[in-house]
Amino acid sequence: MAGCIYIPVQNSEEEVKVPLDSLPQDANDILDILKAEQAPLDLWLIIAREYFKQNKVEQFRQVLQEGSSPEIDEYYADVKYERIAILNALGAYYTYLGKMETNKSKKDEHFILATQCYNRASRIDVHEPSTWIGKGQLCVAKGELQNAASAFQIVLGDDPNNVPALLGQACVDFNTAENEEQYKKAMDLYKSSLELYKRALLANPNCPAAVRLGVGLCRYRLGQFEKARQAFERVLQANPENVEALVALGIMDLQTNEDHGVRGGMEDMRRAFEIHPYCSMALNHLANHYFFTGQHFLVEQLTEAALAATNHGLMKSHSYYNLARSYHSKGDFEKAARYYMASVKEIKKPQDFILPYYGLGQVQLKLGDFRSSLSSFEKVLEVQPENCESLKAVGHIYAQLGQHDKAIETFRKATRIDPKDAEAFVELGELQISSDAGAALDAFKTARNLLSKRGEEVPIQLLNNIGVLYFEKGDFQLAEQTFKEALGEGIWLSVLDGRIGSSKVDCSAYSVQYRDFSLFQQLEAEGTSLDLPWDNVTTLYNLARLLEQLQETGKASILYHLILFKYPDYVDAYLRLAAMAKSRNDIQLGIQLIGDALKVDDKYPNALSMLGTLELLNDDWVKAKDTFRAAKDATDGKDSYSLLSLANWNYFAALRSEKRGPKLEATHLEKAKELYTKVLMLHPGNLYAANGAGIVLAEKGHFDVAKDIFTQVQEAASGSVFVQMPDVWVNLAHVYFAQGHFALAVKMYQNCLRKFYHDTDTQILLYLARTYYEAEQWQDCKKTLLRAIHLAPWNYTLRFDAGVAMQKFSASTLQKTKRTADEVRSTVTELKNAVRVFSQLSAASSYHSHGFDEKKIETHVEYCKHLLDAAKVHCEAAEREEQQNRQRLEVARQVSLAEEARRKAEEQRKIQLERRKQEDELKQLMQQERNFERIKEQWKNSSNIASNKRKERSHGEQDEEGGHGERRRRKGTKRRKKDKKTKAQYEEEEADMDDEPEEVDEDASMNDHEDAAEKAQDHLLAAGLEDSDAEDDMGEPSSTINRKRRAWSESDDDDVPLDKLPESSPSGYKENSAESDEEMRGNKVRRNAVDEEEDDE
Amino acid sequence: MKLAGLKTVESAHDESIWAAAWVPATDERPALLMTGSLDETVRLWRPDELAPAGPPSRGHALGVISVAAHPAGTVAASASLDSFIRVFDVDSNASIATLEAPPSEVWNMQFDPKGTVLAVAGGGSASVKLWDTSTWQLIANLAVPRPEGARPDRTGSGKFVLSVAWSPDGKRLACGSMDGTIAVFDVARAKFLHHLEGHSGPVRSLVFSPVDPRVLFTACDDTHVRIYDTDGKSMVGAMSDHVSWVLSVDASPDGAAIVTGSSDKTVRLWDLSMRAAVQTMTNHSAQVWGVAFRPPGGTGVRAVRLASVSDDKSISLYDYS
Repeated sequence: MAGCIYIPVQNSEEEVKVPLDSLPQDANDILDILKAEQAPLDLWLIIAREYFKQNKVEQFRQVLQEGSSPEIDEYYADVKYERIAILNALGAYYTYLGKMETNKSKKDEHFILATQCYNRASRIDVHEPSTWIGKGQLCVAKGELQNAASAFQIVLGDDPNNVPALLGQACVDFNTAENEEQYKKAMDLYKSSLELYKRALLANPNCPAAVRLGVGLCRYRLGQFEKARQAFERVLQANPENVEALVALGIMDLQTNEDHGVRGGMEDMRRAFEIHPYCSMALNHLANHYFFTGQHFLVEQLTEAALAATNHGLMKSHSYYNLARSYHSKGDFEKAARYYMASVKEIKKPQDFILPYYGLGQVQLKLGDFRSSLSSFEKVLEVQPENCESLKAVGHIYAQLGQHDKAIETFRKATRIDPKDAEAFVELGELQISSDAGAALDAFKTARNLLSKRGEEVPIQLLNNIGVLYFEKGDFQLAEQTFKEALGEGIWLSVLDGRIGSSKVDCSAYSVQYRDFSLFQQLEAEGTSLDLPWDNVTTLYNLARLLEQLQETGKASILYHLILFKYPDYVDAYLRLAAMAKSRNDIQLGIQLIGDALKVDDKYPNALSMLGTLELLNDDWVKAKDTFRAAKDATDGKDSYSLLSLANWNYFAALRSEKRGPKLEATHLEKAKELYTKVLMLHPGNLYAANGAGIVLAEKGHFDVAKDIFTQVQEAASGSVFVQMPDVWVNLAHVYFAQGHFALAVKMYQNCLRKFYHDTDTQILLYLARTYYEAEQWQDCKKTLLRAIHLAPWNYTLRFDAGVAMQKFSASTLQKTKRTADEVRSTVTELKNAVRVFSQLSAASSYHSHGFDEKKIETHVEYCKHLLDAAKVHCEAAEREEQQNRQRLEVARQVSLAEEARRKAEEQRKIQLERRKQEDELKQLMQQERNFERIKEQWKNSSNIASNKRKERSHGEQDEEGGHGERRRRKGTKRRKKDKKTKAQYEEEEADMDDEPEEVDEDASMNDHEDAAEKAQDHLLAAGLEDSDAEDDMGEPSSTINRKRRAWSESDDDDVPLDKLPESSPSGYKENSAESDEEMRGNKVRRNAVDEEEDDE
Repeated sequence: MKLAGLKTVESAHDESIWAAAWVPATDERPALLMTGSLDETVRLWRPDELAPAGPPSRGHALGVISVAAHPAGTVAASASLDSFIRVFDVDSNASIATLEAPPSEVWNMQFDPKGTVLAVAGGGSASVKLWDTSTWQLIANLAVPRPEGARPDRTGSGKFVLSVAWSPDGKRLACGSMDGTIAVFDVARAKFLHHLEGHSGPVRSLVFSPVDPRVLFTACDDTHVRIYDTDGKSMVGAMSDHVSWVLSVDASPDGAAIVTGSSDKTVRLWDLSMRAAVQTMTNHSAQVWGVAFRPPGGTGVRAVRLASVSDDKSISLYDYS
């Protein structure tokens, strides 16, 4: 367009030639000419445009401002179009300025100026379309799309083919579509925009390539990628240097994600870069590319260039993001974090560009800033609620922050969204291990399936965890399979199927040489590979634990030895071997093994605790205490197990029988309580400590408090699948027992037996028996003891107790004031049994040292025999009594029979009397009759007298009859009375029979008994047993406190030395906690798996 | 291979039932089931309807812990916790003899296959007592030695013999101890042969395979069932499925299966070819102390029957096929 313009000189034919490519630097020069010559306004416009083209913006603005000055308006009042054009050009210029300006207030200033220009243009001619178009574009620049659209519509209403208006409207539609959130509406808008572009092209087929760019973008948005590509290519045909088209094509190519596509895309980008090195979009994409190719240096350069080239927030954000990423991948987290921050700061709305938040979150997580990291990831999730990676990260953070529930919830969501994400399942499983083992197992299994479906190798840690969970669930076979799968090939397989170990070394022989590695040396010498990768050790250890559980102690021991052979520092293996020795009652070996373990680490608290336990079993009280102390010190008193051990030690010490002193007992108990409390402060949820505290309280007689504690512990324990605490049931039962609620105690013991021991624990049966004993339910007591004997035939103490129970039963029966001969007879049988039991015991002591004093048994035998003698007397007495009863009954019967006979005779007599009377009467009657006959003879003489006589006779008859009836009745009543009397008499007699002889007998028997008791007393005294009456040693002195304590001490029955009987609860606790300790260790081991969790997208 | 429940008699005894054995059929009558209980009685039951075959026989004190029937089916023995053995005529219930060998207690007992000897596990005496069944005299005392190297534990009771079993050829006698070892004797020479090891708890019940005189099945408190080769003194296999003590074991007459009773209240059927539990019966509500297959023989008896007795006082009868 280079050329000249000719400014006509006013009032002449001359023209001033102005070469356009050499316009004066100072616009005033030309303005002077223009003003002076009063040049047509279009020349002004041309010159201004030329300045603009030459990038001389200042001059451009000057020309236009002069051209729109009020003088010009006045002068050229009739030249409308040019004035408008100048104003519009100025308006467009301000619009552009405003658009480019980043400073808000300046921006507004520019827009105001632009608006003023357009308004002036409108005042000149309201209908000028270009003004409206300008206004529309201003509105677009200001973002008021609605107003812009109406402006363009006005133009299009007049001229539907107005190209700039069409383009403007298309642009408005496109931008509206970009902002539209509803997909469908957006698509409609893109379509209408596309339609408008097409119309513009139709109206002006030669319009600039940029129009086709618009078409391409619309098509791209509409998903018509091929057509979009065509459009971009047409743009490039028209203008090979069009950077936007190149970039667009490049992006499309990059998005194909295919090798040659990417390469082509990069080619486009590079060309765009070469054409216009400041296109930040291209720079960013190039940087992005080089990031993936790992050329971090280029990335940094490119992004820095991009940063310099643009002011656009989003672009800058992209650049910062690229930079941050580069540092992130280089491991420079500090810098990465800073750039991510910068990137984030450039973003107005997170939904525009979310990636930097994600990166930021990752870096913050890496730097340990969990809270900030969490908020970054939460931002990501706000925009993309289903972003699995972020969900996993958030879950991980929750887990780190200890918010397990939230963590689990988050991972659950992640696995729901992407059910194929094995890692998420692994994490989920690990989180659930402690809370819900079943769910954890499911998660792990899913992860394993996913991994094996993908054909990836399942990590040994995962298999190990699955195995452990099966193990804990009691699914031993599955556990074994899983462990085997985890371990793969190796020497252990031959151990498992018995090729090694059982063939070469007899199980029994092997168990003797517990510390012998010769087997492995031999195998190595034979050339067998004993490879044991470090990764496998944990699993191998778990497998050995499983074998132990399955009672395959020989194999387990070989595996432990294998571990120790390869890794002599693996202390836990020593501990397990020691535990095995302990369970075989081989305490010396156990102590030796622990000694080995302590050689590795002399402060290992678990080893110390175990050593203490073993020493305790060995009756090495002082040593045990020192060891427990050492364990406690090794952990700075933070390890609840060693604290509990020490507490238990104190508790045991308090109850030691041989050195029992009230003062010592009190201090020990106090100390135990203190320690239990300390553990509770450290871990308020420690059930064992609570249990211990309860025991101490109960020991001190605070039964109600103790009961509360036990009840709570019981509730807590029954809520968890992992904690099995039968001891607390026992303790609760003990408390009921001590408080005299025997029925409740019985219930509790029975429930405990059923729930935890399959009714096989003889110790609890013994408690049960004792409760019955105390409740004086002798038969139940005896039956319970017999059951216990049946379960534990080797426990002679039970037999002794059974004997005592029978003896007691007999004694108490004999003391009863009323008893039948049957009762006495059964007493005798029972006594005979007791004698047999005792004499068997004393006989058995010839080959068993079951811990009874021979003499004492003798005493019992003597006493029973004595009772038996007494009982025989009783029995005879009872029988005699019974006989007498019988006789008396017989006599009574005879008496009553005699009575009856007498009565009958009486009656008989009466009847006879009656009859005689009647006969008499009859006789009289007959006499009278005869007299009457006689008199009749006389009557015949006079009739008067006769009627009178008849009257008299009838009267006489009546009289006769009445008298007779009455007598009869009277007789009847008399008979009844008589009946009554006899009955009463009988009753009395019977009562007499019951009473009188009884009294006599009673006295006799009392005497008998007292005699017996006295004699027995002598026997007992002889044996040094000082019991009042026949209570004997099983019944304690009646002082309740004492009794309670005894009950409490669980030592139970009899004077059998306390330590002979295992103390249930605390020792039970020990076992349990040892186990739980192992579980804890298992968990620790499991945490191995949680190490690789940092990754990129 | 399966068990089908036929009948259950609730409250067959007044107390826990601890022992069960089948009395073989004689010419006059079919086989009878004999049970012993904590209620101190021994009762006999008709084989199919489980109706009492007679009044309960008393005479024991402290609970009947073991019952055994002579292979001829005429004589039976029952033992109680007071360590007396009562030998009686099955049909008349007349006492034939009362055996005791103080200070030895009595636990499990079994007649040898020929019926000439009664073997009795002697508990704490660490021995098995053999009684002649014609004179009812004690003829031998097989002492169980301590295994070499075993440490005496604190109670001092090294061996406590709980259970005995005769091999089907009558040559071997195995006895299970509280410490989990099983001693094997050569009866003819009255000689101890060796120990079988592996169990880690009391072996309460053991039985030889009826088809292979070398194979021994053992039930133990360690919840496992093991299979031993008594001559090779090696363990052939172990099976575990019970969750508590295994209290009793018996082998099916065809030798293809064994059945166990456990304190986990179940009766399990084990397929020996698969070495696994193939069926679990849960009809008892307490420990199952005894399981017993009815011996083959008798007129017109084809079906194989199994009886189980439990702490819940009930007897259950199954059909094995």
